[in-house]
This record gives sequence, structure tokens and C-alpha cells, in this order.
Amino acid sequence: MTKTKISRIHLRFAEKLFIALALLFTVAILLLHSYFDNITQAHLYKSLGERAQIQAKELAIIPELVAAVNQHNLRAIRQLINQIDKQTDASYIVIGDKNAHRLFHTQNAPLNSPMVGGDNADVLKGASIIALSEGSLGISLRGKAPIIDDQGNIIGIVSVGYLLDEINEMHKAQSSPLILFSFILFITLFVFSYIFSYLIKKQMFNLEPKEISLLVRMQKAMMESINEGLIAIDLDYQITHINHFAIRFLKIPEHALPIIGQNLFIYLKQCDLLNNTANIAEDIHDSISHFNDEVVIASRIRLMINGSTQGWVITFRKMNEINSLNKKLSQVQLYADNLRALRHEHQNWLATLLGLIYMQRYDEAKEFITQQSNTNQQGIDFITDKIKVPAIAGLLIGKYAKANELGLELQFDPLCQLSQIPNSLTDTELMSIIANLLDNAFTASLEQLNRSALKEKKVITLYISDMTNEYVIEVSDAGTQIDESMKSSIFKLGVTTKKEGDGVGLYLVKTYTEKAHGFIEVSDNAPQGTIFSIFIPK
Amino acid sequence: MNLKINALLVEDEPILAEVNADFIQRNTNINVVGIASCLKEAKIMLEKFNPQLILLDNYLPDGQGIKLFDYIIKHNLNSYIIFITAASDMDTCSHAIRYGAFDYLIKPVSYERMTYSLNKFKLFFSQQSKSKHLSQRQIDELFNLQTKDFIDNQKTSKGIDSLTLERIKALFINNLQALTVEDVVNRAQISKTTARRYLEYCIQTHFLKVEIHYGKIGRPERYYQRIAL
Repeated sequence: MTKTKISRIHLRFAEKLFIALALLFTVAILLLHSYFDNITQAHLYKSLGERAQIQAKELAIIPELVAAVNQHNLRAIRQLINQIDKQTDASYIVIGDKNAHRLFHTQNAPLNSPMVGGDNADVLKGASIIALSEGSLGISLRGKAPIIDDQGNIIGIVSVGYLLDEINEMHKAQSSPLILFSFILFITLFVFSYIFSYLIKKQMFNLEPKEISLLVRMQKAMMESINEGLIAIDLDYQITHINHFAIRFLKIPEHALPIIGQNLFIYLKQCDLLNNTANIAEDIHDSISHFNDEVVIASRIRLMINGSTQGWVITFRKMNEINSLNKKLSQVQLYADNLRALRHEHQNWLATLLGLIYMQRYDEAKEFITQQSNTNQQGIDFITDKIKVPAIAGLLIGKYAKANELGLELQFDPLCQLSQIPNSLTDTELMSIIANLLDNAFTASLEQLNRSALKEKKVITLYISDMTNEYVIEVSDAGTQIDESMKSSIFKLGVTTKKEGDGVGLYLVKTYTEKAHGFIEVSDNAPQGTIFSIFIPK
Repeated sequence: MNLKINALLVEDEPILAEVNADFIQRNTNINVVGIASCLKEAKIMLEKFNPQLILLDNYLPDGQGIKLFDYIIKHNLNSYIIFITAASDMDTCSHAIRYGAFDYLIKPVSYERMTYSLNKFKLFFSQQSKSKHLSQRQIDELFNLQTKDFIDNQKTSKGIDSLTLERIKALFINNLQALTVEDVVNRAQISKTTARRYLEYCIQTHFLKVEIHYGKIGRPERYYQRIAL
């Protein structure tokens, strides 16, 4: 047996909501309508019955009628009742004698035959009644009253009747406004349900509740999985969302959690991203800023709801993490390459040494051994002698060693000197300027080295001096030229001429230089290469 | 005044350590009180001897010698360190500088350079003992015992060649016009880096002054101009 799959109709949430609302209203209106219908019907019956009874009673005490019935004067009765019949809305009037035989019937039913309905017994005992029963004309609602003579004898019956058909006519006439009212109500509620479900749909961005809950979970997972800080705040700078990375970065203590609803500035003492409210209406992307004295690359994006800003989302990552990751990767590659070469070199070196010692050429042996370390020793001695800022001296030694590793030479201008850093910059900022310029020079030199057939050692020179009333930093290389077209944009964030650059280095250089009110000159070196000169006032 | 200086050698190659100790004992009057072959031993000996000087090799079997700096600071010891690293490990030197070692030597160390370093320390140590209250300037001077008498290299003397200087000065002597670096490069036929250095030197000696002109593009240009007498 093959199962036939019934494709179930999948209704969207808003549609379901609309259908449910419409059904609910329909049922409610139907119930309401039938209830009112019943009430009006019952009311109609009751009032008509009473009306019939009162009319019967009134007729029964008309003296002319009493006399006419007493005398069995059928003509007199007919004249009298016909007159009255014109005035009433009753379907018929019947006058009967004390045996319940018709003496008169407005509808010309046979006379002298018994009154049909079988409800005359009580009347003949002297009571007036209201009854619903089948008479000669069909089902009718009738009021009956006894006719009593002066001696108190019951001599006849008056019956005033309303035929059911006529009652229904009346009822219809009465209930038509109710039907109209119900119909209008139904249409109104139907339209309301439609609009309501439409608005809900719009509010939920056309998403299903399932999708929304999935989104919420997905958002949570995403926020925690990225290795970036993420903080959402409202217009009062209150945190509406924050991920673990950001909690760790801001060093928010355990006992302060959950932090939602607290003011961000409690934990973020200094944040130039939020403080510059001048361009509050703009989004900021990948700008380098300081959060609590840590340099981060941060973005600020407005949360827009219906065209008005409701808050911001701030994402950031640590600057040095990005740098160190890049560094580590390139270093590993380099070490692997260098190691093979070094081992081979080392063997040759020992062989040479053994030869010199064996031949008792000791001075040459000493010379040979120390020639390698001498250069480095001189480099270190020079740096420690001239550069009196430990952080910068350390950086230069590191870069000097790196240049050696890369097969380049970093030369220091003999006039280099640095006794302190500019007041307008921190150690790390000045380091960043120098390091980035040197790194770029190294990269450009290596590129040129790989391109040219001549494998001569590329030299990068550094001149750093604070001997005048300015700090001068000049890095020159003999590497690849910078295209004229690129020159105007090399300092922009994300612009790079390197194969694997991220375009941050020179942007940093520019940012920090401008912070210190200095300026940068870029010019071509002869015969080739580039010179970056930076001047920072004291 | 002959102060006793005790030194500790931290070096994991036993032969080298022994030769070095022998050399120091023979050629300087510094007393080698111990040879430690690893960080652990070094710490024990520091406690025991409290030497004035440590010759510290960075490459040790149980970690990096640089860790000893922290240890010394933590334990309030007043030992000075001559830090020794291999050329391939110069990066560590750049970290050691922040701690302020007395000197940095690159392996293989020539004995001339080591002698120079030890003598420098003796001088520094006797100076320091004479006056316990040194001004920062004096300390700088002590640390700045010029290395140039050791490193016999023309380049590291002033770095200013009088002929070149005259050629550059000649451009300014006869007129008071302001010149950019490029002008100087073109007229004196020298490289731009050289020109920059000499021009800055001339500013330092108050022969020239710098004027910043803000050009049309908003990019400032530096003009060098003679200071009118």
C-alpha cells in the first residue's frame, strides 16, 4: 500500500490569527443574535398574548355584547364585533356561547359548531386565559375571557386570536434591524481582525513566531561565538545587550551580572567613540579608538526603528590581537625557512673554525667568530647609547634583529638621539608610528629584493632625533615605489599596497601624528624607494 | 678605593662558564662567587651570595634568563645584570631593555667587549658607592660612558662631515631665501636622507631655522632658512 501524503496547508501565523479571530467573532455574533432573537420572540408572544387577553376581557364586558349573547342575537353580535374588528390588529375574534359553540367568527368559520382548540374548559369556569393552540385557522395565540351576565352566570366566551403566521410576520419586521445590526458588527469585527493581524505581521517583520525564537537563539549563539566585543545600548546609554567578550574586556565583576539595564559608562570610563556626539547621526566603521586606555578598532552602528534612532550597537576588537596574530603567522613561516639555511651555514662555520684553529691562525679564528656578533653588538650599543627611552630602544633592537632575520639591514643614522617622548603621545603610540613605518619599509625592500636580479643587501635607514625643537622621524628604504595615484590615499584605513596587508599601519601613523599636531611628508628616494618623514612639535 | 665586586655567572654550557670565570678572575679584580647552570640554581645562589653583578645568559634549560629580572625586583635584591643573548635571540634584548640591564652583550661575546663592560661596571659601582645620592643626570652620565672609544668606527663619531656641511651652508650663506629639502638635494647633489640630517644639525647649531608654509592643498611644507644675524 502506498501512503498518499496529504499536503497540509501551512498557514502563516498572521493568517491563523485572522482566521481564529474571525471564527471567534462569527460564533459570538451568532450566539448573540439568536439570543436576542429568542428574547424578542418571547417578548412578542408575551405581549400579544396579554393584548389578546385584555381585548377579550374588554369585549366580554361590553353591555351590548352581553345583551346580544344573552338574547342569542347573532346579527347584533356581528355588527358589534365587525366594528371592533376594524380597530384591532388581531387575526380574528370569536364569540361563543356557554357550550363553546361559535356564535360569531370574523373569519366566517362555520357557526354553531364547537370552538376548536380545546382550551375552553377553564374559561367556562370563569377564568380568562392565554393559550397557544391549533384552532380552525391553524396555530394561533389566543386570549379568552368569559362573558358574564348581570346575575354572574357565564353565558359565553370571547376569544381574540393572533395567527402564528402573522406573529412571525411581525417578528420578522421587528428582527430585521437586529439582523442588520449584527451584520454590520460582523463586518466591522472582520475588518478589525484583518487589520489587527496585518499589524501584528508587520510588527514581527513578516516572521513566524518559530522563526523569531530561532532568530533569538541564533543571535545569542552568534554574539557569543564571535571573538569581538558587542554591546547594544539605548539612547540613555543603558546596556540592552552585551556578549561575554565585552564583559571580559570591560572587566565587569561577577556580582554585577546580569548587567542589562545598567549604564555603560559605569564600566567604560573613557570612550571617544561615544563621547564625540558631534556626528551622532552617523555610523562609524572601524575607527581606532580608546576604551579604558586600550586601543581597539571599533564600529558604532545606529539601531533604527521606524526611521528614528533607538540606540546603538558597538562592536570592537583589540588592536594588538589583530597585529600579533598576523605577526605570529608570518614568523612561523619565516623560522621554518631560516632553520634549514642556518643549519647548513652552521656546519660550514664550524668547519672553517676547525680549519683556522688547526692551522694555528688564532687571531683569524677570533675575528671570524666575533665578526657576526660584532655588527649586532654595535647595533645594540648604539641604540642603548643614543635612545634613552627604554620602550623605543627595545623596539628598535627588535626591529634591528628582525631586519637581520629578513636578510635586510636596518641602519641608524649616526645623529640619532632621543631623550624623551613627545608629551602629546604615549610610549605605545610613538612605538606604533616607528614600528609601522619600519615594517612597511621592510616589506617594500623585500618585494624589491625578490623582483630584482641583483641580490645585494637592501638597507633601510632610520633617523630619529629630538635635538631641535621638533621630533623628526625619517624612515627611508630602497624598496618598491608607491604609485603616484596611491600617494593621496595610503593613509586611509583599509588602503594597502601589500599583498596581505590590512591597511591599518599607515592609518595609525597618521592618526597618532595628527594627534600630536605633527605632519607627514612622503617623497621618493633616489634611485628608488620611499622616504617617510614625520615632524612632531615639542 | 678598592671595592669588592662579587659576580655570579649564569650559563648552561659548563666549559664556556668555566672559561669565562677564569677570564674574569684573571683579568679583572671582580670575584666570581658562583656559576649557575639554570634558573633554579641562579635563584638559590642569589639568595646565598647576593652578588653585586650577574652575567646572565638568556638561554637556559629551565626557562629564559630574562625571568630573573622579575625575581630580583620582587625580592628587592640590588644586583646589576649584564644581559647576554645570542644574535638570533635579540628580540629578548628588546624586552630586557625595559628592565634596564646594565649592559647587553651579544653571543659570541668578544673578550675585549666583555672587558670593556666589566670595567664600565667597576667605574659605575665605585662612583655609586662614593655618593649614595646621585642626581638623575649623574646616573645618565654614568650609563653613558661613551662606547665610541671601544667601537672604532668613523661613522659613529658625530656623523657630520665638514665638507658636506660646508657645501650645504654655502647654499644659505649668500642669501636669506628659504629652501625645501628638495632644493637642497638638487643644488648640493646629495641624497635626501643626508640633506635632512645636515639641515637638522644646522638647526641645532642655530645656523638655520624652520618655517612651515601651508600650501594651497593644505599640506604643510617645511622651508629651511638662515637665521639672520
